Amino acid sequence: MSSTEAIVLAKAPRSRRRHPVAVWVSIALLGLVTFLAIFGNLIAPDATAQSILDSLLPPGSPGHLLGTDELGRDVLALTIAGASSALVGPVCVALGSMLLGILLGTVSGYLRGPIDFIIGRWTDLLFSLPLLLAAIVVAGVFGAGYWMTVLLLILLFSPSDIRIVRAGVMEQAARPFVEAAQMLSLSKARIMFTQVLPNVSSLIITNSMLNVAFALVAFSSLSFLGVGVAPGTADWGRQLTDGRSIMIDNPAAVLVPALLIIGVASAANLVGDWLGQNLTRTGRS
Amino acid sequence: MTQLNAANTPAAGAHPDTPTAAQVTVTGLAVDGPAGVVVEPFDFSIAPGETLALIGESGSGKTLSAKAIAGLLPAGFTARGGIELTSARIELPATDAVWRATRGRRISLLLQDPFTSLSPVHRCGAQIAMTIQAASATRLSKAECAELVTQRLAEVNLPADVARAYPHELSGGMRQRVAIAAALATDPELLIADEPTTALDASNQGEILDLLRGLQENRGMAALLISHDLGMVRGRAEHVLVMRHGEIVERGVTSSVLNAPSHPYTRALIEADPSLTDRSAGVVRTASGVGVGVAGAARDNATGETGDLVVATDVTKSFGDKTVLHGVSVTVGRGETVGIVGESGSGKTTIARCIAGLEYESSGVIAFDGVALAPGRASRTPKQMQIVFQDPYSSLNPMISVGRSLKLALRVAGRPASDLNGLLQLVELPLEFARKRPAELSGGQRQRVAIARALAVQPELLICDESVSALDVSVQKQILDLLAKLRVDLGLSILFISHDLAVVRQLADRVYVLRHGDVVESGPCHDVLNAPTHPYTQALVAASIHEAPTH
Repeated sequence: MSSTEAIVLAKAPRSRRRHPVAVWVSIALLGLVTFLAIFGNLIAPDATAQSILDSLLPPGSPGHLLGTDELGRDVLALTIAGASSALVGPVCVALGSMLLGILLGTVSGYLRGPIDFIIGRWTDLLFSLPLLLAAIVVAGVFGAGYWMTVLLLILLFSPSDIRIVRAGVMEQAARPFVEAAQMLSLSKARIMFTQVLPNVSSLIITNSMLNVAFALVAFSSLSFLGVGVAPGTADWGRQLTDGRSIMIDNPAAVLVPALLIIGVASAANLVGDWLGQNLTRTGRS
Repeated sequence: MTQLNAANTPAAGAHPDTPTAAQVTVTGLAVDGPAGVVVEPFDFSIAPGETLALIGESGSGKTLSAKAIAGLLPAGFTARGGIELTSARIELPATDAVWRATRGRRISLLLQDPFTSLSPVHRCGAQIAMTIQAASATRLSKAECAELVTQRLAEVNLPADVARAYPHELSGGMRQRVAIAAALATDPELLIADEPTTALDASNQGEILDLLRGLQENRGMAALLISHDLGMVRGRAEHVLVMRHGEIVERGVTSSVLNAPSHPYTRALIEADPSLTDRSAGVVRTASGVGVGVAGAARDNATGETGDLVVATDVTKSFGDKTVLHGVSVTVGRGETVGIVGESGSGKTTIARCIAGLEYESSGVIAFDGVALAPGRASRTPKQMQIVFQDPYSSLNPMISVGRSLKLALRVAGRPASDLNGLLQLVELPLEFARKRPAELSGGQRQRVAIARALAVQPELLICDESVSALDVSVQKQILDLLAKLRVDLGLSILFISHDLAVVRQLADRVYVLRHGDVVESGPCHDVLNAPTHPYTQALVAASIHEAPTH
């Protein structure tokens, strides 16, 4: 076992490595957006207020740092107000699909057999649905809406969580410590959720961060296509649609929300990756 | 360096002291770690065709020394000294460019674990071809490469179709042969074998080592064999270095070091090795004398009690089309220690798992205390039996502290959490270990925790499934002593599964020999292992003696 020892020794200097700058920038950006999502209403109380007189002001105009759009709405205020819709939905989607993933994935991976088969075919079915098409159909049948989109995305995001948790649980379930728990005649539910699940937690957290990123992009796409939030709502995807026609007069109306979508999605991705690497390092022996 | 060169000097192996024979010489080799010197400077040289063994326990610095010579030290460690090969001289620490030109070509490394040293997603042939291609000056055609791969496989006694197999389709011994073929593909001057057989069965171990020895003599290649196992080294290395805490404490010709060790540490190592100590007495040797003659006492005890604890009759087990148990019957008496020996694939673990209820037997009856049990865990209670598994690194939940694991087991048995301290004392662990996570413990300490967890519910039967195979010899001895003590103190019945005859001999009263799912021989341990009647048992015993021909 001396090679194992050498590896353990080798870990010491590696874990002292400083976190990359990109991760700190990402955390700062996510922190800022979270702050705006919570306190945006106080900073920009009437972001959607229209004013024909102030229509299409370029960036840098007095009183409107990023200018205004066609309807005279202040782009900066609109962007700040849009933070809550940009964050709340994706976070809800990530949490909801994580919950489904934990429940169905653990049961599927630990019990195997017919339950695993049924859950497996269910995830296959969901995997086969194209996101945008499903969203358009659902919007057509039930009407477009923010929370409807949240529910739809939870459903469509869940199969990857289920599969990932299932794989992690299957890997852990074969380990002797699980059999040791069986030797103590613990109930299956207890073994699943108190013995196996903690060992899969790093996987789940990492994947949820990645889901936040994907969900933000999905939300923005749907809003851009007009099947997400209702028109007139402060939303970054919506701003892209509205701002397309006024690119020449006020480029900031498109560029700022677009860059924020890219930035927040990338930041969530990077932080997720970084969390994954660090959690697995401390979690596993 | 080239194959021609090796072929032209066939006698080099037989006469290493030929004046023209080139040697591999390492001078002033030392390793510095983040916290200071880890390996003190030492020198050695190996003649072509000879083997030098570097012996030590885990943490002695033997693997770091090997990695230093292969240029594979982990980050934070630096090597000093020089390596003199016939074709090159390397000053340590060397640059990556130097290592790329040397490693795999002039110096090859064979790793401990054939299960992880091969890439699982590439065919074996491709992995051997990769090293051949890397070492070849010109680009070889596919056909030439395939031809060479077949040659290499033949050298390690593997059929040509192994080239198309993935590593998971091969047994441990075959995988290690593939790894050897890959390591030798480039005709290195020096082969470093880091615990090449630790992960293998007893009978495979001997074969692999003899194969290595043959290849090395034919090619006039020098070998550095890293091992914790003194018994393995006997007859397979000309010289031996004994390392402790990064220092060479003894060196010399193998037979004289093993027969007349001058350093107390070497003597302790030899005494700790079950295959080198008294093999016929059938008793546990401990420094304090505790445990001597335990086997006899326990046997008397067993006959004194009424009835047998576990009676498994005609148990069969199939996985799909594959039948691994063909009607195996095993009996464990009260207070008795029963050994089940056999190679991997013999079904010894499967029968243990059927008894434990972790595997559903296909047919047959398993009775506990006179009551037949339905297959599976549902019919069994924790108090009837507990298992201690082979791998101490995966048998404890890495996310849960030692204390929590043990308290959970105590709660299951209806014992108060305050019994935790007594439990830790029982397995001779300090009380502060309760707060530690498994990752902070060594292999031996983890195995003690695993034993404590099994004993927390006060089981009547303790099943030890290869429980000491993954441990160093000296730690192995400690755990065996602990088991010997516990069975006397607690009156435990033990079912001991092992491929290691020397270990079974120490502990078991009776022994069953399993082969391909059949019991080929059974009886009192002393009789079966000293006067085996079945040819398979004879071969097993011979293999384990061959490993360490002490007498």
